[in-house]
Amino acid sequence: MTTRYTILIAAILFAGAFVINACKKTGDDPKSNPLQLERPSHFPEPHYAFGGNPITEEGFQLGRKLFYDGRLSKDGNFPCASCHMQFAAFATFDHPLSHGFNNSFTLRNAPGLFNLAWYPLLHWDGGINHIEVQPIAPIESPTEMAETLPGVIQKLQADAEYRRMFKAAFGDETINSQRMLLAITQFVGTMVSANSKYDKVIRGEATFTHEEQQGYEIFKAKCATCHTEPLFTDNSFRNTGLPVDPALKDYGRMRITGRSEDSLKFRVPSLRNVYATFPYGHDGRFVAIASVLEHYDHGVQDGPTVDPLVKNGIPLSAVEQFYLKEFLRTLTDSAFINNPRFAAPE
Amino acid sequence: MKLSSGMRLILMGLLLTGIVSCQKELHFDAVPEQDHNLVLHFKPVVQYDSVDLQFEQPYVNFFGQTFRVSTFKFYIHGIALINTDSNRVFRISADKHFLVDCKDSASSRVQISVLPFTYNRIAFIVGVDSARNVSGAQTDALDPANGMFWSWNSGYVMAKLEGTSPASTGPGNRFEYHIGGFSGPDNVIKEVTLLFPFGQAIDLKPGKTTELTIAADVYDWFYNPHDIRLDVVHFIHSPGPLARQVSENYSKMFTVVDIVNEP
Repeated sequence: MTTRYTILIAAILFAGAFVINACKKTGDDPKSNPLQLERPSHFPEPHYAFGGNPITEEGFQLGRKLFYDGRLSKDGNFPCASCHMQFAAFATFDHPLSHGFNNSFTLRNAPGLFNLAWYPLLHWDGGINHIEVQPIAPIESPTEMAETLPGVIQKLQADAEYRRMFKAAFGDETINSQRMLLAITQFVGTMVSANSKYDKVIRGEATFTHEEQQGYEIFKAKCATCHTEPLFTDNSFRNTGLPVDPALKDYGRMRITGRSEDSLKFRVPSLRNVYATFPYGHDGRFVAIASVLEHYDHGVQDGPTVDPLVKNGIPLSAVEQFYLKEFLRTLTDSAFINNPRFAAPE
Repeated sequence: MKLSSGMRLILMGLLLTGIVSCQKELHFDAVPEQDHNLVLHFKPVVQYDSVDLQFEQPYVNFFGQTFRVSTFKFYIHGIALINTDSNRVFRISADKHFLVDCKDSASSRVQISVLPFTYNRIAFIVGVDSARNVSGAQTDALDPANGMFWSWNSGYVMAKLEGTSPASTGPGNRFEYHIGGFSGPDNVIKEVTLLFPFGQAIDLKPGKTTELTIAADVYDWFYNPHDIRLDVVHFIHSPGPLARQVSENYSKMFTVVDIVNEP
C-alpha cells in the first residue's frame, strides 16, 4: 500500500511539474548555465547589472568568440581584439592611436577594457550612453572596423557554428543585432579587474612596501579627487590642459554635447593596470607615466575650460614622482591580464 | 486501482492549480468584442499635399531650390484615437514603435488594432521615446541595424530626409537631414494631433477595417517656422539647434487626406 502511494505521489508530482513547465514562457533554455557579475567586496554597486541580459556561460562564450572574430570588420582584419589586447589590459600595446581599416588611424587612444559595468558613459567623450550599444561604434567607424551591422549579421547568419552558439545562448538560432550585442556585453561587461596588489592591500591580504605606501599617501592627496578609488576614475569629463592636436582637431566632450563649456574635456581614465596601457592621454601623446607626471607638474596649458584642479599644475617633486610610480605599479592586475577565460578562444 | 477520498482531493487540487496557473494570460471580457483594424497609410507628398512625391524626381521648394528625395523615413509611437466630445481616448501601447519608410509600401502602412468606438482625432508621437534612447540593444523597429541609430553618440535618428539639390554645395550635391536628440533643449520628439477631413467623426466598428491616408509633406521640412535653405544646410548629423528647428518644421507635415471606412 505504501509503495502504491509513493508511486502515485511521484506520478502526480511529475504530472504537476509537466503542467507548470508547459505554462512557462519560452526563452529560458533549461540547458544554459547562469553566471553572475561578481562585485568585488570593495566596489560599489555596478551601474549595469545585466538586468535585461542574464549572463550565461553560453552567452559569455559567444561574446568571447565575437570579440576575437575578424569578420566583425569589413575586410576580416580587425576584430575587437586588434585594438584591445589582453596583455595590454585590453588597450593597444605601445600605440598612441590604433590601426583601422584601409591603413587608417583611429581618432583616439584605445582605452583598456575592465570594470566597464561600473561606468555610466563610455568612450573618451562619453558619447555612448549604454554598454550594450558600444560595439556598434567601432564596427561602423570607417577608421576602425568599417562594417555595417546588417553586414555583420549576414556573415554570422551564414555560419553554422554561430547558429549553434546563438541557439545555446538564446534558445533558438535567430541571429540579430540585439543578441550579438547582448552576447558581446556578457563577455566584455564581466571583465572585472580587482586583483592587483592594491586590491589585496585593501582586502587585508597584503601590505604595501614603504615606497608604495608613501606613493599611496601622495596619490590620495594629489590625484584621488579625479582618479577616485576603487575604480580610479570619478567618471567625469575634464580638460587637463592638453592643447588640441592640430591634425586631429578633437574637442572631446563638446562633440557630443555641442556645448562650448565642454570643449577639450575628456573622460577621466581609470588608472587600474596603468603600467600595461601606455601610451597615455586621449590621443596617446604621453609615452610614459613619467611624462604624464611631468605634464601635471609643469606642462598644463591654461585655457577657458581647463579644470580648476589642474589649472595651476600639480607640483610633484622628483621624489614624489618616484613614490607615485611605485604606487601605480601596484595597480597592475596580472591575474586579469593572464586570465585564460578572457583569452582568444581555441 | 482505488484511491482514498483524500488522495482524490489532492489530485483534483493539483489539476485545478495547474489549470488556473495556465489561465494567467487569457482575458475574460464582460462583453467579448472584436477589435477594429486600423491602417495608417503614410503617403509622401509635396507642394502642400497637392502632389504625390516620386523619389528621385525634381521638385521646387519654398525658396525656389530644386531638390530630389532619395530617402524619407521617420519613427512614430504612442498612437491614440480620441473623441473630443466624450473625452474618450484609446491608446495603443506607447512602447510600440513603428519605422515608416516612405519608399517601402509595407512599412508605410502601419496596422494596429483599436477599441471600436466613434473618434474624431488621431494623435501620435513622431520620434523614439526618450527612455528607449538610453536602454541599450533593442530589436524590431528599433534594431540599430535599421540604420536609424547614431553609433558614436548613442541615440536614434528619429526622422531622416536625404537627397540631392543643385543648391547644395555638399559632396555630390547631396543633402542629408538626420534628425535626432532626446534630452533637454535638444529634444526633437513631437506629438502630433490630427483632425479627420471636414471635422468628421468616424465610427470604427468591431471586426471591420478602416484605412486612414495620412499625407507627409516634404515641403514642410524646409519652411515655417524655420527657414532651412539647401544652400546653407547640407548635412545635419547630430542633435542640436538645427535638428530641433527641422523637427519643429516637420511636426506639421502630417494631414489626414482620406478615410476608407468599412461599414
